[in-house]
Amino acid sequence: MFVGRDLTKIDALAKVTGKAAFSYDLKTEEMLFACVLRSERPHARITNIDARAALAVPGVLRILSATDIPGKNVYGAIRKDQPFLADGIVRFVGEPILVVVAQNETVARQVLGLIKVEYAEIPSILSTTAAAESPVHVREEGSLLALRTLRKGDVERGFADADVVIEHTYKTQWIDHAFMETEAGVAYPDTDGRIVVRSSTQNIHYKRAEIARMLALPEERVRVLQATTGGGFGGKLDVTVEGFLALAVYHLKRPVVMRFTREESFLSNTKRHPLHIEYKTGFRKDGAITAVKANIIGDTGPYASYGETVCLRVPVHAAGPYEVPNVHAECRMFFTNNPVAGAMRGFGIPQVAFAHESQLDEAAEQLGIDPIDLRMKNALKKGSLTATSQVLSASAGLLETLRQVEPFWRKRRKGRRGNGFGLGCMYYGIGNTGIANPANADLELAEDGTIILHTGACDIGQGSDTVLLQILLDTINVEPRYVVLDRGDTATSQDAGSTSASRQTYISGSAVRNAGIKLRAFLEQRGFYRGTPLSEIYRFAKDEKPLRFDGYFDPPASGIDKETSQGVPYVTYGFATHMTEVQVEEATGACHVNKVWASHDVGRALNPRLINGQIQGGVAMGIGFALMEDFVPRKTRSFDTYYIPTSMDVPEIEVMLVEDPEPTGPFGAKGVGEPALIPQAASLINAVRDAVGVSVFELPCDLERLKILLERRKEKT
Amino acid sequence: MEDNELLLQTLRERHSITSVKEGCSLGECGVCTVLIDNEPHYSCLTLATKVEGRDVKTVEFLGDEQLLHPLQVSFMTKGAVQCGFCTPAMLLVGYSLLLKNKEPSAQEIREALSGVLCRCTGYAHIIEAIQDAATFLESATAE
Amino acid sequence: MLQRFSSLRPQSKREALACLSDLEDPVVIAGGTDLLVRMKKGESHRNLVDITSINELSGAAEHNKHITIGCASTFHMVSNDTRIRACAPSLAEAASWIGSPQIRSMATIGGNLVNASPAADSIAPLLVHDAELTLESKDQVRTESLEAFIRGPYKTSISAAELLSSISIKPLDGYVEGYRRVAKRAAWAISRLSVAWAMALERGTFADVRLAIGSCTPTPFRARNVERFLAGKERKPGVAAEAVELCLAEIRSITGERPTFVYKLPVLRDLLHAILGGG
Repeated sequence: MFVGRDLTKIDALAKVTGKAAFSYDLKTEEMLFACVLRSERPHARITNIDARAALAVPGVLRILSATDIPGKNVYGAIRKDQPFLADGIVRFVGEPILVVVAQNETVARQVLGLIKVEYAEIPSILSTTAAAESPVHVREEGSLLALRTLRKGDVERGFADADVVIEHTYKTQWIDHAFMETEAGVAYPDTDGRIVVRSSTQNIHYKRAEIARMLALPEERVRVLQATTGGGFGGKLDVTVEGFLALAVYHLKRPVVMRFTREESFLSNTKRHPLHIEYKTGFRKDGAITAVKANIIGDTGPYASYGETVCLRVPVHAAGPYEVPNVHAECRMFFTNNPVAGAMRGFGIPQVAFAHESQLDEAAEQLGIDPIDLRMKNALKKGSLTATSQVLSASAGLLETLRQVEPFWRKRRKGRRGNGFGLGCMYYGIGNTGIANPANADLELAEDGTIILHTGACDIGQGSDTVLLQILLDTINVEPRYVVLDRGDTATSQDAGSTSASRQTYISGSAVRNAGIKLRAFLEQRGFYRGTPLSEIYRFAKDEKPLRFDGYFDPPASGIDKETSQGVPYVTYGFATHMTEVQVEEATGACHVNKVWASHDVGRALNPRLINGQIQGGVAMGIGFALMEDFVPRKTRSFDTYYIPTSMDVPEIEVMLVEDPEPTGPFGAKGVGEPALIPQAASLINAVRDAVGVSVFELPCDLERLKILLERRKEKT
Repeated sequence: MEDNELLLQTLRERHSITSVKEGCSLGECGVCTVLIDNEPHYSCLTLATKVEGRDVKTVEFLGDEQLLHPLQVSFMTKGAVQCGFCTPAMLLVGYSLLLKNKEPSAQEIREALSGVLCRCTGYAHIIEAIQDAATFLESATAE
Repeated sequence: MLQRFSSLRPQSKREALACLSDLEDPVVIAGGTDLLVRMKKGESHRNLVDITSINELSGAAEHNKHITIGCASTFHMVSNDTRIRACAPSLAEAASWIGSPQIRSMATIGGNLVNASPAADSIAPLLVHDAELTLESKDQVRTESLEAFIRGPYKTSISAAELLSSISIKPLDGYVEGYRRVAKRAAWAISRLSVAWAMALERGTFADVRLAIGSCTPTPFRARNVERFLAGKERKPGVAAEAVELCLAEIRSITGERPTFVYKLPVLRDLLHAILGGG
């Protein structure tokens, strides 16, 4: 039995011995270095580029521009609208304009300073208000990237029936992924003349498709592999270095390496959408929620990236993990000349959870109901109708997570002044929203008597390699020494989809299980379980049939209505409750997090220690989101001002797991990557409110802002 | 060795010790940590000339697949390794701490680790791993 | 990438001073945590004079009832030195908050002062102890008070040929001393505000008060108006309140109203109430 055990990750050994090869570790002496010249203006036409001085420097091989792109100079996760290299117009500070390829990094970066770019500025749009009001748009299409609406029931009636109505506006900030390993990769032409790219990435087949389209090559002429990747969190889903590397190899036919400095990463990488959330909830005096109305406005930057995905998810989850009969939620994403906002752990839901959980606590106070009772009363459960009118038929363990936290909640006692406790609940659809997002996996019986698992599922540290193997081993009942993992190579695996939306355990895991079931049937038939060795089975079977067993899984979500978002956006959801204890020092506004209790319904804990690790990491990220992270476009350049939590900022975390099995998941499992983060900031902010009686409407609630709020509270009394 | 060479580059480029990572190059993230005379330093802000005649340790010193250091074993078994990019730095800080303090408390470990950022783990399993290794080393030497 | 430069490691102070006088475009490097960051961002120097091999420049010693701290003493040393902990606990405390453990093993007190960031944590405690700096060049030795030495943000009176060789402070026996700093996360963060204080109390009255505030003003600030006001007064909340208002007013008169004051001054007020009022 491997499922359910705290198996050590298979990549841990290489990582603790320092042997694990991250992208930049693969650099060799012979590799050229490529780096990007980036726009210094938020919105401008490029009137002239003078690279003569740069080209004259010894060691510079080529300077590539948009005109050097043989195929389509455009990419995008959903909509293909972002140029690899700016073609006459730049729309954000940091937008790539040229790629310099030189003998080494020193020359390459030095040369960037010698290239003179002349701009004719265009009025820039730096807020969603400006975007909505300005006659000039960032994009020809208009000011709006997307608008999605959810309508269920009749919110006006719902508010009319309410005894208490809470209405506020909440604002959240730009957030950077801040993975420890910046974007990097290597690329080279292989002996077949294929372009090979190995990079720090969360997906491979997607990138191969983009590269092929950019170079007007058939996909088989491009090979993408995942290097050991030092964190992603959504920031390595879009093309980062891969396009530039491939372009350089295409023209120079030599190996090339590329890596972003931290400053470059801050400048160029996609960000979490800052959201402006107008939120209104109605409650009956017994605590039942009667209606939710939410109007969410997001700044998506100048290109689509994952903006539409966030726009789609937000209204679906806006009402929170509760039974609400009447919901009207709208999300608008505006184009601006701010950084590109895209996928970041939770796709808009951490922001929205801050809003709905804050409202619940405010209502609890007004209604005289304990915050945990209010949540239990309204919690989604098996048989409930969600905001999209989907009936939850299984694996809906929110109440269990509340019950696990309950004893700690009921026992809480406020100590000295400034001590407080807060709850935060969430639910989160696993996998992409209402669209197909399948995974393939296949098993091969090899001549040497091993079973090779070919998967394109990228492991970015969360442990998918290990978990997929656990699933396989328990499905086929073969000893680990016969099983080999081939992961992250487009040449040998089929598309598993991206490592995002907390989907790999659930979807790739199911694909692996399905492949395994086929293989098991075959092995059964050939006598393996009665003692026939694998190598013998291979010998006898190899000529009669290909010894590959394909697995496939696409969550059977039928999708949602375009106008009302009603329907089935996901087959399964994660559910969680976090409880946070804080100690606020009123003199300084400093908020110390004393302890966190986190309970998650994961369906089935395939590897409890890995799940535990995800939740602890998510709590830390949530503390950063709530208290200290604040990316300021065009200002934030380094960790000097972008603070992520240190070991001193993260308290003891008590993790509890609920297993409410998901019938469509491998051994009942769902996902936890994003759920781990989502309720934390909400829970922390509620604790602050409990501690000092101050309502926080804007994140981050850093010590300066909290002190100012405390001063205002003093003035009022 | 050039006068203007940083220790980080010397280790990675001249000695091919790629376990020492570069995360920010400004001494703000900690993944470039090495031990100089058993004390953690940021190699990205250390001139290579500075370590002449001094002892420099990188994670390879702790052990390899043939013989792992208890810290390396604990990191593996306690889930202290997720993406792994901060792992060499964390291991070295743990090693340095245990040389000075055989039974550190969780708080003391937290303080020692406060100069290396981790975005994946939330630090808890790293602290647990160091405590686990400390216990093992104590009992091993007690015998 | 760092520009080309030569680096030298003199083995004695005399050698170091000769380097600073004789070489072209020299600069002292100790821990390098400020200098190398600046150089990575474009600052250039032809010759880096590494003073960390010079034993006489690091460590703390007692001379004539003063404590002399070598410029190349790391913050790790400063925070752990028994003499400094006993005689200037606010300095030891401030040193323990600077940067991270790695930074504290590398960065030096001399470097902190020559860099002269308004947020430098060592400044306030040194002011409270009437720090005198010794600046040496090949031909000359001079001393200067810390307050005079720092002319403005990142500006000091030091010349290229000079080395800040040591800092001398007076122990304050029998004083109640302390240090508080405020930052945006629990470790490894720049001080947004810092306060160092030392008070001699006699039967509930202030016999002598020393108070310095960091990260609030462009030059080092010792609240002498407040110190004079408190001398001889009873230590009680009403007196503290008046002292606090005096302090805030003085800061405002030095810098005018700054955007950060909407946060900093209320924090300062509340911290000072607690420190001075005995709360």
